[in-house]
Amino acid sequence: MDLTLKTRLEARLGDYLRGPVYQRRDETEIRIEPDSVPDVLRILRDARDLRFEILADLAGVDTGDVMQVVYHLWSPMTTDWLRIIADGIPRDDPRAPSATFLWTGAEWLEREAYDMFGIVFEGNRDLRRIFMPPDYTSFPLRKDFLLPDDAARSTGAGVRQVELGVRPTGANGDAADDIRRAPAS
Amino acid sequence: MPPRQPAPRKSKARTTAATDAADAGGRQYASTDDPRIMLDRQVGNLYEPIPPYPPRTEREGEFYTLGDGEMFLNLGPHHPATHGVLRLVLKLSGEQVVDVDPVLGYLHRGVEKICENSDYYHVLDQVDPLEYLSSLFQEWAAVLSFEKLVDVQVPRRAEYIRVLSGELLRIASHTLYMGFLALDLGGLAPILYSFIERDEIVEMLAALTGARMLFNYYRIGGVNGDLNHEFMSRLGDWMSRAAGQTEANATLLNENEIFVRRTRGVGVLDRATALQFGVTGGNLRASGVPFDVRRAHPYSIYPELEFNVPTRDEGDSLARYLIRVDEIRESIKIIDQCLNNMPDGPVMAKLPRLIRPRPGRSWGAVEGPRGMMGVYSISDGSDQPFRFRIHDPSFVNLQTVPALLPGNLLADTMAIVASLDPVLGGIDK
Repeated sequence: MDLTLKTRLEARLGDYLRGPVYQRRDETEIRIEPDSVPDVLRILRDARDLRFEILADLAGVDTGDVMQVVYHLWSPMTTDWLRIIADGIPRDDPRAPSATFLWTGAEWLEREAYDMFGIVFEGNRDLRRIFMPPDYTSFPLRKDFLLPDDAARSTGAGVRQVELGVRPTGANGDAADDIRRAPAS
Repeated sequence: MPPRQPAPRKSKARTTAATDAADAGGRQYASTDDPRIMLDRQVGNLYEPIPPYPPRTEREGEFYTLGDGEMFLNLGPHHPATHGVLRLVLKLSGEQVVDVDPVLGYLHRGVEKICENSDYYHVLDQVDPLEYLSSLFQEWAAVLSFEKLVDVQVPRRAEYIRVLSGELLRIASHTLYMGFLALDLGGLAPILYSFIERDEIVEMLAALTGARMLFNYYRIGGVNGDLNHEFMSRLGDWMSRAAGQTEANATLLNENEIFVRRTRGVGVLDRATALQFGVTGGNLRASGVPFDVRRAHPYSIYPELEFNVPTRDEGDSLARYLIRVDEIRESIKIIDQCLNNMPDGPVMAKLPRLIRPRPGRSWGAVEGPRGMMGVYSISDGSDQPFRFRIHDPSFVNLQTVPALLPGNLLADTMAIVASLDPVLGGIDK
């Protein structure tokens, strides 16, 4: 846990932070608005006392209420991993700015987040599905996407509250029905 | 000559056999139940380079529009040199690569979704087949992340056993890499020696873990079993000649003029580009950045061990190969230290049968043979991870292919892709 990193982050990013800087074990976590992602990432990478030069990961998260984009960065100036959570992206129209202007490598990571969650990264030149087939319509890692079988569920009381909802129209269940109805050709 | 537009899109709904015949490359077959029609209908659509739908992004439209004298070539998905099921659509001008569009997803199994519906112990089974050449490291990343969530102290003997087995597997993976790189350049002999080495190591690990490839050995809070006699005797035999055998294998390639000429100066990834792409592992160190998670962000017992992080400045395919050879030497040193300092004690911490960590988030990253393997997991207090994100190094490393290939010859495509060491099981998740 790097306590000086906390003061450095607060000094550099004071206005952008939403909530306190959270530190646990070897991780430091900050929360920001999705709109301020380009500014914050640029400061983090280019400020001389921060120098977070390696984008370790970019992940989408669906909390059931909102979407998040989570960045993990590494810097030679600290012993901590830095986690940036762009929080509060609405689920019905998830949009976030792209990080490709700083890290070209974010392009595929954003494509993956789009493929799995439907988060549209504005500024990504090649935002198309990367794993799922092109004619696929739903977003598999969203919490309202239910697996069609129960075999993968654990024996414990593992079915989560958010997954007990009604299956949305246009989700995987309907596609399976279409395939079943289609004439053999 | 005006740029050629993509071929007219084919409708998915086929009504008559006549449409099928017309679709089959305009060829006329006598009978409608001709098996060749069926074959064309199935295969022709699947493996056409130009996708049968309008371009989804500007970049896709730009790529699938041919310029003067250009052509498309499908490399894969079932090509022996693509290290799995990868399709590279190459845009060629003569024999030169102009542009490339990698098409992924042929091995996509939705492991992250499955993990979010499995409990914490079952997740470790699911992540094994991702990086099938180095499955211990994928387990290690998951275990590291979960241990932070659960707040459990791992016994020191278990940490030593993890490092010992991990470094053995790193050597197996790198040895195989040396062989496959040579194989993709047309040399058959090195892969045979590689498999001899790798087979000894996986048999050794089979004695320890019970499986040759998908070990499922690391547990949250320790490892599955203690060291046993058969493993130790096999390891002792192998260690007595490992260093010499590595040098012999390396000499086979280092002093091979064809190999060196075909890799030196090919596919140069400079320092700035490598950092921009987020490349990790040997590929980044070959470009001059000394980033190794074992040293950059130490985990387990690596701070106590002595080893170097080899780097090179050239950034070409040959440098990426030589880095791997150096890493094998460093791994042998680490194994030696592990065996000398192995402490006594338990190999598992005491944990309940069903883990329900407190709500929280954690990121665990380890240095795998291909780079940083990371796992970001979120717990909501139930027995299943709320979110389980797998960061695979080959996925990011493969992304540099569109930047490295243009300007190179078609034959060098293999030297470049193979030198990045992608494993498609991990890329496609």
